[in-house]
Formats: sequence, structure tokens, C-alpha cells
Amino acid sequence: MNVKKTNQIMEKYSIFIVLLIMIILCSILNKNFLSTNNISNIMKQLAVATILAYGEMLLIISGMLDLSSGAVLALAGVLSVSTYKSSGSLLLALLVALTIGVVCNLVNALMVTNFKTPPFIATLAMQTVARGIALLYTKGQNILQLDQYVVFGQGTIGPVPVSIIFMAVITVVIWYIMKHTRFGRSLYAIGGNEEAAVASGINVMKNKYIVFVINGLLVGIAGVLFMSRVNAGLPNGAVGYEMEGLTAAIVGGTSFSGGVGTTMGTLAGAFIIGCLNNIMNLAGVDSYVQQIVKGVIIALAVIWDIQSKSKKSTKVILVESK
Amino acid sequence: MKKRVLALALGTIMAATLLAGCGSGSSDSKETAPESKETETAEETAEDSGDAAKESKGTYRVAYIARAQSDSFAAWLANEMLAAAEEYDDIELDVFDGQADDEKENAAIENAITSKYDAIIVQPNNGEAQRPYVEQIVKAGIVAITTNARIDGIEGASSVDADPYAQAAVNAQAAVEQVPQNAKVVVLNGPSGNFHADERRKAWQAEFFDKRTDVEIVGEQIANWNKDEAVQYMEDWVTSNDKIDAIISMNDNMAAGALEVVAGKEEFKDILSYGVDGTAEACLLIEAGTMTSTCLQSAIDLAKLNLETVHKLLTGEEKQIDTDIDAPLINKDNASEYVQMYKERGLIKE
Repeated sequence: MNVKKTNQIMEKYSIFIVLLIMIILCSILNKNFLSTNNISNIMKQLAVATILAYGEMLLIISGMLDLSSGAVLALAGVLSVSTYKSSGSLLLALLVALTIGVVCNLVNALMVTNFKTPPFIATLAMQTVARGIALLYTKGQNILQLDQYVVFGQGTIGPVPVSIIFMAVITVVIWYIMKHTRFGRSLYAIGGNEEAAVASGINVMKNKYIVFVINGLLVGIAGVLFMSRVNAGLPNGAVGYEMEGLTAAIVGGTSFSGGVGTTMGTLAGAFIIGCLNNIMNLAGVDSYVQQIVKGVIIALAVIWDIQSKSKKSTKVILVESK
Repeated sequence: MKKRVLALALGTIMAATLLAGCGSGSSDSKETAPESKETETAEETAEDSGDAAKESKGTYRVAYIARAQSDSFAAWLANEMLAAAEEYDDIELDVFDGQADDEKENAAIENAITSKYDAIIVQPNNGEAQRPYVEQIVKAGIVAITTNARIDGIEGASSVDADPYAQAAVNAQAAVEQVPQNAKVVVLNGPSGNFHADERRKAWQAEFFDKRTDVEIVGEQIANWNKDEAVQYMEDWVTSNDKIDAIISMNDNMAAGALEVVAGKEEFKDILSYGVDGTAEACLLIEAGTMTSTCLQSAIDLAKLNLETVHKLLTGEEKQIDTDIDAPLINKDNASEYVQMYKERGLIKE
């Protein structure tokens, strides 16, 4: 009974145990690791990737993915920055970013649902189109002197950085959607078995559109945070950020086969990668070695996560067959 | 019904964006064309591509193969090349995009040879990968120039460049005097294997670190020329070090990123910071007293010198030319001149 219980705990919390072990190791390795300042740094560094990771998680759970998020982030970001520079309105700049994110993702949704294009190809096409528009619009040049715009990525409310507040609020909203709404549950059903979902009366097409719209909003916000963090509109910025988002979601236990994944798991995945980058920088690990270590640790974390789950399921099968 | 209308509307948007995307992605069509006249030329050239050369009487046709139009310096250089070509009545310049990809860049060179341009200027993506293709240009009897960075030692090819060693060295020599005793510094490097990144780092080693053995490097990482990567490294370095006296960066973008982290922090108000490139942003930071110095790699000068060189070669005035633009140091004494230059170019809005 106890073994079963332990196994259940391992299954449910394996990724958090990985994170905990990592935090303990990091704090032994570097005395600064657990300082308030450093924790705040890690979270600021994580914010953009985590927000993108939630979008990827929702899409992967419902059997899709988004390869365009880095490029759409850049497009939403530069247009938002440019809106701020010409209007001086932070609210308008934020709205522009959200709108661009949503419009690009509606096109993604259209290609995926109405035209039955595989999400991999549809969003790959969007990636090059969005990057192309960002470069065309800026003629490849960075937009400088953002003035008050930096408040999103660099400002604080009390002692708490604004970007961390964005990340925290989004985490709660996504967690609520996935855990407590019919829409959230229907995503698991769609990703688990789309035909069964249709048969059980779920409006798959509508739900896919909604997922892309949510992803668009998240990408838009990420664009604003990214550009204000670097105090520039970078049309070349965030190249490959979709992979950061995907990695966090996958490390956090989201299954590429669809229908599986949790908000808190994704958050843990993002933290594992964030802590890893941070401790290697604090310890002054060579750039080349960092890449190797990162790859190995990500692989080990995922293997451990999968193994601790499959052990349990093997046991159940064994018990049943007896 | 509503859904259908929505689907149709989205379809139209998608088709439009896709078409726009195809336009900017194609490797053999003209990319950057700030002026409409050049756009027309580009379209004609694109239509003719592969055909025999379009002969206009008394005009030299020059192809410029840019490394990548998505790289802000390369994009600026391409625009300046077009502007510089305007000054010559007998030169018609077409720009092609190598898209930061050796395969595409090499294909663009081959296409330009086939199209029988009178001269081909190549901005390599990776010098060694383009070397055999530049040799083909020479073999075809076409004037060949490599620029930013030059490919050394090609018989019969000319070159126009900025010297990356000198660009970093002027900063390093100033830093020898400016950096305090027993200083702790951080170093931000460009991509490994990149000629300019490596040469700039060599200059800092020889001109600064070898002379100032008291200085300790407390952090050194590759931030790939990127501002956002530099921000992240600097945040971590600031946490693990009570004191950082100087930021030594191989380009301005990374220096500006690192400065973003310490902006407004009292304990870092005296931090020194060095870059290279002389970007608009760096000039503003130096003018404001936030950044210490940089060295201008002027796209304007590079473009003018390229056109001057190609003109001399085409008219037979000279057979081979290898030349460099100057490497002027920008510090607080002269930053405002360069800010003014950028304002005139519209790269800094007033």
C-alpha cells in the first residue's frame, strides 16, 4: 500500500522532485543562488519563455504546436514599440501587441482547422512570414530609445518586477482554465483522441481556434516584455524562442502525443531550465560546456520523469495480469 | 454563414501575408530598395535572371551579394551601397540576399556570374565557404571584390574592409589608461569562429589584458552579438560579483544590453563599457555619458569605398585594390558628431 502511495506521489510530482533536487544542489554550489536578488533574476529571465511555454502547452495538449511564436513575438514587439514611439500610449502599444499576436494565430488556426494543414507546416510558414514582415517594416534596423516603454520588462510594483507579476497572473489564469473549466478539459479530450472528442459532442474546431487565440495573446504579451527588457525593438530578436517554450513544456511533462500536460509541470520545466542557465553563469561555466550540460540534464530530467511514470503503469499491468 | 465569411477574410489575409513573405524570402530577387527607382530595376533584373545580361549603353552592371538582409548592419550596408551607387551615372547596382546561409549565398554568386554582371561584390557569410565561388567570379573574367569581411589571398580579387583588430585595439588602448588598478571586468564575445569576433577578442588580449595583468576577468561568455543574451549574462554576473569595473564587449549591441542591467544602480554608476561598431544606440549612450567608447564601423564609408574601388577596377584605372576604411574611436568628446550623422541618415529620430 505504502509502495503504491509512494509510486503515486512519484508519478504526480516527479518533475517537482527534479526541480527540488536541482535547487538544493545549486544552493550548495553557490551561496548567492537563493538570494532574493538572484531568485528575482531567474524569474525575470524566465518570464518570456514561460509565457510562450504555456501557449505551447495548450497547443500540444490539444495535439498541435506553434513554431511561429518567436517570430510573431518579434513582429508584435516591434509594432508595439513603434506604436508607443508614435503615440506615447503604453495601453495602445500593449493592445497592438495583443492584436498582432491574435491575428497571426487566427491565421494559424485557419490553416490548421479549415485547411487541415499540419500545425508543424502551418506555423513554420507563419514563422517566416512574420519574421519577414518585422524585417520589412523596420528595414532590418533596431528601434531605439523606448523611454517609458521599458516599464513592462524593467519596472517594479513595490519590490516585485512587473514581468514577474505578468508571469504569475498568467500562470494562475492558465492553471484555472486547465483545471476548472469545461474548455480546459475538452482540450485534453481533443489531444487524447480527436475522433472520440467529436463523438462526445465537443466542438473541436471552435476549441482549436480558442487555443490559438489564447496562444496569440500570450505571444503578444511576451513580445512586449521581451522588447522592453532589452530597451529596443529588435526585428531579429527572439530567434528560436519557440524552442525555449517547447522545451519548458516538454521537460515539464507535456506529452508530444497530446492529451497530457499540466500548468504547474510546465512552470517547473521552465524553472529547471532557468535555474540551470543561471547556476552555470554564476559558476562561470564555459559557453560550450554549458550547451552540453544543458542538453544532458534536459534529457536526464525527461527520462527520469517518463521512467517514474512508466514504472507505475508497468506494475499496474503486472498486477492486473496476475 | 458567419464562419464562412470569417474564413474567407482570414484566407485573404493569409494569402496576402504569404505573398509578402514569398517576395522577401526569394533568394534571387532584389531585397532592400528604399527608393522606387531601384525597385523597378530589381523587378526587371529578377525577370531577366538567368537570361543574358541586360545591356544598357555605357553602364556597368554591378551585383552586390549581401550576407543577410536580416542582420541590422548588413541591411544598413546594403542600403548605403544603393545610395553610394546613385552617385555614379555609369553604375547600376543590384542587391541580392544571402540570407545568412552559405548555400543561398553561393547560389546567388553563381546566378550573378550566369547573368554576366560586370562586377560582383561579395559580403561573405563565411569566408571559406564563399572562397571557391569568388574564385569562379575571377575565372569568368568578372571584377570580384570581397567586403566586410574580406576573403584573403584570392588571386585577382580585390577587397574592401574594416580591420576588426584595429577597431577593438583603439578601445583597448584607451582602456589601458582608464580601467582602475586590480579591476574586475566582464567580457562579452561574438559567435565563435566569426572572423570579426575572433580578431576583436585577440586585440583586447594583446592590447589590454597582456599589458594589464592586474585586471581580473570575473565573467566571460559568448552572447552571439545579441542584446537579450547579454542582459541575461550581466544579471547573473551582477549577482555573483559585488564589484564590476568594466564591461568589455566585442560589439555595441551586447555592451548596451549589459548596461541595461546596471542602469540606475548606484553601485555601478562608474562602470566603464567598451564596444565596437559605433551603432546609433552606442553613440547615444556615449553622448549621455553611460557608455565609455566604441569604434565606428561605418557602413557609409564602407559603401563609398566599395563603389570607388569597383569604379576604378571597371574603368581599368587599377587592376587590384586591397583597402580598409578608418577605425575612428568614438568617445564623449566626439559622440555628438556621430549622433548628428545618424540623425541625418534617419537612423535616430529627433
